[in-house]
Amino acid sequence: MSSMTGGEMNNQRTSVWRITLLIVVSALFMLPLVLMLLASLKPAEQLTGDPYSLLPERVVWSNYQQALEAIPYLKYLANSIVLCVGSVVGTVVSCSLVAYGFARLRWRGRKAMFAVLIATMLLPWHVTMIPRFVLFSELGLYNQLAAIILPTFLGDAFYIFMLRQFFMSIPEELSEAARLDGLSEFGIYWRIIVPLSKPALVTVAMFQLVVSWNDFSSPLLYLSDQEKFPLAYGLEQFVSSYSDQTHLLMAASVMFTLPMVFLFFVAQKSFTRGITMTGSK
Amino acid sequence: MRQRISVILFLLTSAVIAVWGTSVSLTSETPVGREEVVFWHFWSGADGKVVDQIVQRFNRSQEQYFVRAVSMPGNNFDMKLFLAITGGDPPDLINQDDPIVADWAHREALYSMEEIAPAEEVDRMKQWLLPAARSLGEYDGKLYAVCNGLDIRALYFNQDLVEAALQRPAPPFLSSTDELDSVAQACTKYQGQQLTQVGYLPDPRRLWAWGPAFGGDFYNEVDNEFTADDDAIVRALDWMVSYRRRLGAHNVATFRQNDQSLPNKMFPLLANRYAVVLDGQWRVRDIEAAQEESLLKGQSPTRYGVWPLPHDPTASGKAGWVNGNVFLVPRHSKQSKGAWEFIKFWTGLDGQQDEAAKTCIAGGWIPVAKPVSDSELFQGYLDEHPLFERFVEFSQTDQVPTPLVPGAARYYREINNLVQRAMYSEEQIDLKAELALISQQMQQQLDRLGDRSHVVDDGGRNE
Amino acid sequence: MSAVTQRRRRLSGWIFVSPWLLGLLILFIYPFIASFLWSFTEYDLLTSPRYVGTDHYQRIAQEIASGEGFGKALVNTVYFAVVSVPLSIFMAISLAVMLNWKVRGQAIFRTLFYLPSMVPIVASSILWLWLLDPRDGMVNGFLGFFYEVPPLWFQGIQEAISLDTPLQFGSKDGLAMMSLWGVGNFMLIYLAAIGDIEPSLYHAAELDGAGVWQKFRHITLPMLSPIIFFNLILGIIQSVQAFTQVYIVSEGTGQPAESSLMISLQLFLSAFRDLEMGYASAIAWVLFALLGLATWGLFRTSKNWVHYRGVRM
Repeated sequence: MSSMTGGEMNNQRTSVWRITLLIVVSALFMLPLVLMLLASLKPAEQLTGDPYSLLPERVVWSNYQQALEAIPYLKYLANSIVLCVGSVVGTVVSCSLVAYGFARLRWRGRKAMFAVLIATMLLPWHVTMIPRFVLFSELGLYNQLAAIILPTFLGDAFYIFMLRQFFMSIPEELSEAARLDGLSEFGIYWRIIVPLSKPALVTVAMFQLVVSWNDFSSPLLYLSDQEKFPLAYGLEQFVSSYSDQTHLLMAASVMFTLPMVFLFFVAQKSFTRGITMTGSK
Repeated sequence: MRQRISVILFLLTSAVIAVWGTSVSLTSETPVGREEVVFWHFWSGADGKVVDQIVQRFNRSQEQYFVRAVSMPGNNFDMKLFLAITGGDPPDLINQDDPIVADWAHREALYSMEEIAPAEEVDRMKQWLLPAARSLGEYDGKLYAVCNGLDIRALYFNQDLVEAALQRPAPPFLSSTDELDSVAQACTKYQGQQLTQVGYLPDPRRLWAWGPAFGGDFYNEVDNEFTADDDAIVRALDWMVSYRRRLGAHNVATFRQNDQSLPNKMFPLLANRYAVVLDGQWRVRDIEAAQEESLLKGQSPTRYGVWPLPHDPTASGKAGWVNGNVFLVPRHSKQSKGAWEFIKFWTGLDGQQDEAAKTCIAGGWIPVAKPVSDSELFQGYLDEHPLFERFVEFSQTDQVPTPLVPGAARYYREINNLVQRAMYSEEQIDLKAELALISQQMQQQLDRLGDRSHVVDDGGRNE
Repeated sequence: MSAVTQRRRRLSGWIFVSPWLLGLLILFIYPFIASFLWSFTEYDLLTSPRYVGTDHYQRIAQEIASGEGFGKALVNTVYFAVVSVPLSIFMAISLAVMLNWKVRGQAIFRTLFYLPSMVPIVASSILWLWLLDPRDGMVNGFLGFFYEVPPLWFQGIQEAISLDTPLQFGSKDGLAMMSLWGVGNFMLIYLAAIGDIEPSLYHAAELDGAGVWQKFRHITLPMLSPIIFFNLILGIIQSVQAFTQVYIVSEGTGQPAESSLMISLQLFLSAFRDLEMGYASAIAWVLFALLGLATWGLFRTSKNWVHYRGVRM
């Protein structure tokens, strides 16, 4: 110890300070989540009688069972899954095709069209909401999950942009060689670009999965039949009729959050990469 | 590797849930050979179960129609209904309690009862309903909504608290708002700076009740004019705001908000937070439950009473505010005939008063027709529930609804927002000018809606 | 390459982008034109639209002047943006700087900071509704030590940044608090950008005797300025589009007393609750114009403070 130079001592002191600060701040960030988890396990009386207590007096797992039945959680979960899978497939298929068109093919009007694509990103959804609703109703899509899934098959500017950037980084020589071998454009897209772009496609899929899971305003607008509600919307309905049952609300919220946390841990890399990509264009 | 396994497991579970979930149904299937009437309502929890039982009773009594009740809790029920109508997939019948009847009738989103039922039956229905119930559904000379439960508000008081504070027996009724003020003042308690008990605190949403009680009119039906700045209404509002001036805006707001976080949305009167509270008849059950609980614990129960809103019967005769649940039949309802049968069943028309009495007893609702409340069954119930009896009594006095005029929902909101602002903040507000401004804006909106040709579209009617 | 394959390649370009073209047509161009036309009509989707000229735009102008309706929503939205955007930029940068420290467990801290951003907005709204409950909420349980009368959060019309009720947190402050909790995405972007800064810049500064703060002020901050700019614009757009959390904490109404009525909710309710499609379309267009104006203004000022690769633009 005594052999340490002043600088090293200083360094060590800062590093202790830094770790302490990081621990304190991350504890603050995690606190709401921890409180949610703890509240979901508390007996109802404790939440009303002693609202500021931290730990459950006794652990009540049955809160979860009650929430499952009251919501009806599994039914809504099934709808959420259908929505998520449909939207992810739609997004990945359409956006990768369109991005290929923008990134790897030369055609007249491409630049202008790309500018239009970017412009649509800046348009607030409010402007198109009402006519869109009218149009979808006319098409008989009202109260159908398809009203929410189908638009994803028509591409999304943001993902198209992301994938285009990625596709452009793949060497052009690969395509040229394939063309000489007689592969069609679709063949090049399918056999060469898609396999090489798996990480980017996974990122897009993950993003869309989160978006669909969270989506509240489309079901609010398009769905009226309880049989078709996804969780995000079903949960809101639950809040208004069980607003005084904090233990059930928290149990339901935990169950609604967990799949996303799981997803994050499984696919942390593609998330982080995707997010940083959006910033560094 | 482990990651891959967990992903596969995750996907498999999802697939199983999705397949299972899309195959099960939440409500019972309609039996073969019966015509399905899709019925939306907003009751959930215990009330939802009562509704389910009523629906079951109806379905058992029927061979032709089958009502499928869909509970739609959550906010903005009207909005969902509107979306369903414009989306082209409306329910056949709904029940709701917001002042939208005139607006929607005007916009031709509803069938009038005259359009879906024989004229003679509609006439009988009009005779059947109490004036207050009828007033909630009549627009443009036609019956667009059938009330199935009145909501009447009156002043509940904690008799023990009031008598302790006044040091004399509680009066049977209040002669004026001055008397209410003095009761309120006598019962207000502080602990240091903080309010612990309030004698009475006007609810900002209830200018609609106090306005008429002061003799005011929100709308002049003769001249089709919005008259929120009627002198009597301004006086009523000024009187409500006097409570803020006495107690302080922040105290009022905090005290009021804290009511919301009483355990299980408890009736604040029961928590001894107030001595007097203006509320609806549904609170009778809460009071009775609390009294029973004290008895079980071997304590003598707190006594409660009900006063009508103090009003000057010689001046206008208006006694307060009424709203209620109404049945509406959306235009393009595919089963309007079945909907009408169910409406008749619920309101007790055509000798079904005993069924209707059962319904009212089950839900703790005020009957909409005198024969129902006079029925032996219901009178027996009232004998056991003296507080509730007072409300049934009040329902037969001149209770005024929110005006049935296009834009009423907005009118209702704007007035409540103004009162809320006036009561919860220290802002100095020129009440008369603000009320006049609301009237003026509503008038503009009405003029814009103005002369719309009443083209009746028969496209989706089921003959 | 033959002319035929050339042409085929050109044509295949259009074929590949055709899904998006179809989307452009039915999800953007048609709605764009329709909502513009409707903004000059009285329309309730039930009866046919009636031309009313610029009535709705006049009404909006009036409401902006009087602070009611759209005016109220605009003021609320601006307040929300002014409170939440700078705070979240500050927060995201601070967190990113902290995560860039070379200490043990960096990856764990990054996960912990980011995790709240994965909580679905519906769930986090429910959670904060409870945490910020005026009476039973944990936050007020803590603030009770400092406040005689604890703040009302989502139940209150107060504004913490105001002269009348300083530090009395109301509904919009609650919403701002929620958005601060979910700054994870931008934190990661800043973190990546800090990682991209050439270490030689810092070494050079150290040789000149620069301290920690000076290095941050003169190197890190300018290098991050393009992202701060991006964050600023996106933050404003997100504040304007904030809908789900507002809908849930205010029970779909913007209560209490419209203090949490944001533009997107006001537009939504005008359209589908009040059946005023014309007015709502006009709001959408005014909003579009205001956003365009704000973005343009920011781009103008950005020349003075945004540095691209160390070069002022």
